[in-house]
Amino acid sequence: MRVLDIALKDLLQIIRDRKSAIFLLAMPVVFTLFFGFVLADPGGDADQRIPVGVVNQDGTGLVADAFQTVLGASEVVRAVPLELAEGGSVDPLMAKQNLAGVVIIPTGYSQGFYEGRQPDLETVLDSSSMNGTTVQNELQTAVLRVLGAVEAAQISTEMVESRQPAQGEAEARTAWEDAFTRAVAAWSNPPFQIQSEALTTMDANDEPQAATGFVQSSPGIMVQFAVFGLLLPGTVLVDERQKRVLHRLLTTPTSRAAVLAGHWLGFFLVSFLQMAVLVVIGQFAFGVGYLREPAATLSVMVAVALMASSLGLLLGVTAKKEEQVILYALIGMFVLSAMGGAWFPLEITGKTFSTIGHFLPSAWAMDGFQNIVLRGQGFGGILLPVGILLAYTAVFFAVAVWFFRRDLRS
Amino acid sequence: MKLSTLILKDLRRAFLNPFGLSMMFVAPLLITGLIALAFGGMGGEDAQVSIQATRLVVANLDPGSAQAGFSAGQLLTDFLMDESVSNLVQVTSMDDAEAAKAAVLGGEQGAALIIPADFTTALISDKSSTLHLYHDPTLTIGAGIVRSLIAQFVDGFSGTRIASDVTISQFSGRGLPVDEGLHHQVAQEYTAWVTSMGEQGSGQDPIGLTIRTPADTEPVENPIQGIMARIMAGMMIFFAFWTGANSALSILREDEEATLPRLFTTPTSRQTILGAKMIVCALTVAIEVVVLLVLSSLLFRIEWGSPASIALASVGLVVITAGFGVFLISFLKSSRQAGGVMGGALTMLGMLGGLFTEGIQNIPAAFKTLNLVTPHGWALKAWNASLGPGVGPDLLLAFAVLVGLGALFFALGARKFSRRFA
Repeated sequence: MRVLDIALKDLLQIIRDRKSAIFLLAMPVVFTLFFGFVLADPGGDADQRIPVGVVNQDGTGLVADAFQTVLGASEVVRAVPLELAEGGSVDPLMAKQNLAGVVIIPTGYSQGFYEGRQPDLETVLDSSSMNGTTVQNELQTAVLRVLGAVEAAQISTEMVESRQPAQGEAEARTAWEDAFTRAVAAWSNPPFQIQSEALTTMDANDEPQAATGFVQSSPGIMVQFAVFGLLLPGTVLVDERQKRVLHRLLTTPTSRAAVLAGHWLGFFLVSFLQMAVLVVIGQFAFGVGYLREPAATLSVMVAVALMASSLGLLLGVTAKKEEQVILYALIGMFVLSAMGGAWFPLEITGKTFSTIGHFLPSAWAMDGFQNIVLRGQGFGGILLPVGILLAYTAVFFAVAVWFFRRDLRS
Repeated sequence: MKLSTLILKDLRRAFLNPFGLSMMFVAPLLITGLIALAFGGMGGEDAQVSIQATRLVVANLDPGSAQAGFSAGQLLTDFLMDESVSNLVQVTSMDDAEAAKAAVLGGEQGAALIIPADFTTALISDKSSTLHLYHDPTLTIGAGIVRSLIAQFVDGFSGTRIASDVTISQFSGRGLPVDEGLHHQVAQEYTAWVTSMGEQGSGQDPIGLTIRTPADTEPVENPIQGIMARIMAGMMIFFAFWTGANSALSILREDEEATLPRLFTTPTSRQTILGAKMIVCALTVAIEVVVLLVLSSLLFRIEWGSPASIALASVGLVVITAGFGVFLISFLKSSRQAGGVMGGALTMLGMLGGLFTEGIQNIPAAFKTLNLVTPHGWALKAWNASLGPGVGPDLLLAFAVLVGLGALFFALGARKFSRRFA
């Protein structure tokens, strides 16, 4: 009963503080919204391919046309035709139209291939940026396909020529153009293709979700603010110790264990309620499939809240001042969020970083949520993450108890 | 004399506070360091953007063709297992397609490639063949990298078939006989070309593309350094705004501790006392910016822009953060409100200003416009422009806006404080 009283007191104290609304709810929702848009799914309605300007100075040249056709079919970049004034520069156009790069097909580009040369496309891009690197790779693929078509035309016409020489330059050129056109057309439906799909255990009725937009930002920000939210319970404990409320409480018939358990339960309730609200907002406002497996989602939420409340307890008993609570909570948030894959998927980091990341509870919290919303797994898929989160809960709680006892002794 | 004494007292107080020091120096360096570690070590000339290799299981169902004397599926498997691509994919093989898919579902593998039984026969006939790549849905770019790698190899096969088909159609169109040797000859010539392209593409220069960096961008040897500089600039700006506000907060703290009213009873004018506070605000941010620039250069080997560019961006940042700090804190009734306002308002403005999204590609253009609604966005614009060659018009514009806005915020905040303590 006393445990419950202390827990309810903490809950009320935190909820009544105006800062709670900001740190526990407003900030995570705004962050989720913001990063959801920033990391938006390219598969949405709007064309979110990276825009690349194309300046065609080769007119109706056959190879120039072929390059634009091949690039136009890209799933990664979107070709934006540009007009360049005589002697003008593409650089101002890039900034003005927010282009990641510009390709200039120079005058005589197609003619160069007829003459047996391999002219280059002039490209302007910042290869030090992620966008620039991606655009460069995609342009390389398109150029190689066009060069492949040129080579196919070359091989074909040379073989025909060796058996039946053309009657003059014009016929030879027509034959080359015909072969090239056929080759380019064939590249629109190549004989060997790769069909790629995400593998999930979802039912046929369930729409698989990609790890972009809100599906990445919602659980990530939830885990981040579960840690940052420790700021509030941590402050409650420090405040109690500074005002000697804790020591007065211990003069009552309330045991130390009951005091600690009461605070822990209070912190758990705060963390769990915060996640419950964020899960509901994530499901109904952002379309993240948390409720696909309600029991599994609830289990992960409980495990994360238990882990966070133990960490909050540890923070509260180790910090001496409110400033220290803020500092510890901030550092904890930065380290656990960045290294646990809450800000960006660990897949895109180096191997060492990713391995270290999985020594942190935040990475397992992310795994638990992702196993449900992305992989479509049920209870079986969250057993390991939940087990590890509970192990962290036990460790943090044990260390907090040790610090609490030491503090009271001193 | 009184002014300098007051300034020194406040500066000493600011730089002896462990919490303040952590927020000024440790936090921005820690976050940048973490991101640096995640994506490519700690900077420097040898650092490269690196991501972990994707675990790929290959189920090669292609027995090959006795007639052709080779297995296209085995060639593809060997290519994926080659040392040259081991930094991108970590390949294991399995005989059973379902077991390979189960390994992806179970999380042991990131992707499974199923090479169909008809892969080789399609190559030597006129049939098509489709390879299936199943990937873990949590993979964002790893699946794309694996697909691109496989596509590079398979495009060679497609190209061979296309060259062969085009040649046959040319022969047929001219009534020339098509014999078995023709396929072989085309395949040989096309394969030789693919091999030569592979050798050409193994160097640093792309094939068929001449690349130059945009005029307003400083070419960098190493992409990670450019990304690191932008991330560090974002963190420096965010924490400089925090420092500006925290310094201005000392006015409220001293008022609550009753040291400010006591100071007002001395023969020191209120303007001198409040002026000293505001100078401390600017000096603290200036010291923070200089220290962060030096430390980030040493720790992460970030190559900042020219001295003139850095000076302009730094002065702009100092003026705006000091001015905005005084303005923001002038609205507070007590220092107890500071946590929520500083944590909430500065974080929101930093987010809208684009400080936390530097390095994310393909951000909608509207967000970049939205950035400039906040002073943080202008500060970021100034620092990004300072990374380019020389002092450009973008940097000058951003500098002018920062100084103008900073002066305006400062005047408004100072007016409010002067009235409050009149």
